[in-house]
Amino acid sequence: MSDISDTNIVLVGNPNTGKSTLFNLLTGLNQKVGNFPGVTVDKKTGYFKINDTKYNVIDLPGAYSLNPNSEDEKITRNYISDTTNNDLIVFVADVTNLKRNLLLCSQIIDEGKQVILGLNMMDLLYKNKQEINLEKLAASLGCPVIPINARLGKGINKLKESITNYQVNPTPFLTESNNNTIDDTMLRFKKIDTILNDCVTNKGENKSYLLTKKIDNILTHKIYGYLIFLILLFIIFQAIFSWSSYPMDLIESGFIWLSDFVATNLPEGVLNDLLVNGVIAGLGGIVIFVPQIAILFAFITILEDTGYMARVSFLMDRILRIFGLNGKSIIPLLSSTACAVPAIMSARTIGNPKERLITIMVAPLMSCSARIPVYTILIALIVSEDSTISIFNLQGLLVLSLYLLGFVTALLSALLMKWLIKAKQQSAFTLEMPIYRAPRWKNVGIEIVSKVKIFLFDAGKIIIAISILLWVLSSYGPGDTFEEIDKKYVQNEQQLDKDELSSKIASEKLEASYAGIIGKTIEPTIKPLGYDWKIGISLVTSFAAREVFVGTMATLYSVGDEDNTKSIRQKMMEAKNADGGKLYTTATTLSLLIFYVFAMQCMATLAIVYRETKSIKWPIIQIIYMGALAYIGSFVIYTIFS
Amino acid sequence: MTLDTLKENEKGIIESISDESLAIQLLAMGFILGEEVKVERIAPLNDPMIITSGDNYISIRKKDAKQIKINKT
Repeated sequence: MSDISDTNIVLVGNPNTGKSTLFNLLTGLNQKVGNFPGVTVDKKTGYFKINDTKYNVIDLPGAYSLNPNSEDEKITRNYISDTTNNDLIVFVADVTNLKRNLLLCSQIIDEGKQVILGLNMMDLLYKNKQEINLEKLAASLGCPVIPINARLGKGINKLKESITNYQVNPTPFLTESNNNTIDDTMLRFKKIDTILNDCVTNKGENKSYLLTKKIDNILTHKIYGYLIFLILLFIIFQAIFSWSSYPMDLIESGFIWLSDFVATNLPEGVLNDLLVNGVIAGLGGIVIFVPQIAILFAFITILEDTGYMARVSFLMDRILRIFGLNGKSIIPLLSSTACAVPAIMSARTIGNPKERLITIMVAPLMSCSARIPVYTILIALIVSEDSTISIFNLQGLLVLSLYLLGFVTALLSALLMKWLIKAKQQSAFTLEMPIYRAPRWKNVGIEIVSKVKIFLFDAGKIIIAISILLWVLSSYGPGDTFEEIDKKYVQNEQQLDKDELSSKIASEKLEASYAGIIGKTIEPTIKPLGYDWKIGISLVTSFAAREVFVGTMATLYSVGDEDNTKSIRQKMMEAKNADGGKLYTTATTLSLLIFYVFAMQCMATLAIVYRETKSIKWPIIQIIYMGALAYIGSFVIYTIFS
Repeated sequence: MTLDTLKENEKGIIESISDESLAIQLLAMGFILGEEVKVERIAPLNDPMIITSGDNYISIRKKDAKQIKINKT
């Protein structure tokens, strides 16, 4: 067995024909997701073996014809038109809609490719009481025709047999060539009609759509349609926030155990500190989001798989279009309230490149779960737990208004970008409404695994790097300042108890560290917002992730136990500014809240935006525009309230 | 008349599609010149609309449907 004997099998077909199911069936878990050069479309490749021959399988994006209308279709066209390869094409066709499917198939045959036609969804054909003469069809197309049922795994052995024994000299489908695409397509349809009249006997009617149309009467209904969508959203968010809390707690305690274990079992020193506070802390910050990402993508895959997502898109398109978004933008936007990282990944389902880009650009303005601890601790500083406005809890109202502020700003920013971003191509919004089918659970599983992998490895690399950098910045200072702090406290050791001593040392070291120096350096810049250098440090450290704010505050105000939020609160309440007045006044606290609503303080998101847009330009623009919003918003609020 | 003016459940024959790239796209999705098209459903805010022709079932924005000339049946 050598690489030379490997044969490439390329799967091609219209969207929604079960191509991916066949791909999963052929390759199992022997697959990987890569990228086609220069574009964001996933390239799925895998392999299977028969005897000692390895067959590589490539899953091309679904296309309707070789006249591309989207990035996806362009890839398929370019691959098929490439005459340098001699790959065998397995064309997957939905047998209940052969006429449309055979258009692309006939175009591929005319590119001189070797084709096997796989007729999928044979079960539906029988349900419709239709019959098809396979021999006649094979003879008229000049290629083998294999009936399959990808869902049930039927016909796969026959398909593999046909692949191993392939011996056909392709004969052109159209004998006359036509340079006009529309005329050429019409000619093809005419010939396809003749062939199908000859091969298909239609005793019943096509029932596939009858049930689907009945379901659509409810799911796209003017009132029930929206109501059902809202209930579904509620269930999804319930799942993301509450179901995921169990595995998240487990992961958190796992990492606490791990860092304790490493801290106590490795010899004390720099390596120990780097591992515990740099690498493990960084890793924990990533892995903690895996349950939310898995749950979110389970739901998204199910909604896509059943055909429901196309209906959501239909219902929401008109409203979101006002803001330069797309019906499908609703899922990324709402997912962002959990975490912007999977949300931005889910924006791939948006076909229109401009609308997809705008969705990615504004999604991080939605208040994510990492902002919750920041909101909680800050709000507690200015509003007591039991204050109410009539029947509403004031703290709750404040949190709600911060969420709304994020949402409204996201929509308005989208509106602005709609005018500023030039569309590369003006593409029409046509979207096939697939028939409703039960989700394929194996597909859901494979999808979850692949999305979690992307998150862990692609975003993970960058988060770890930044975590280590932050650790360096806050663990080292210029010259021998750190040694002097140690020396100073060794002399006072007897007067203080041990915990108090170590937290005092930690806070003083942080002040003297590079991070502390950065805090002091930026102090003049953030003074108009009502912040001092300590808040400055928090802004710098929470650039990696927003929730780091709480931990930094805990260290800064020398509280040893990070979980003890009440004492952080008390310390923060007692904190004084340079003039000896209260630091966390209403004005400063509100200003800080606004800052956290708007500012782009999340390395993971920036990493994923870079990955998804394939350009450093968009994450940079994101930092700048969200930073500007944060600065101006906080300045205005601080000025009004002080 | 154009397709965007049809109401739910109204039908027409596709005569021509003025935008060439849209024509190529719709043709490949099974909306063929000279064949019947039906407006299946119009979204609550009056846009987009779901149209069918044969076994093809798609959603299309009104601004694109305006490009499709039809003969009402």
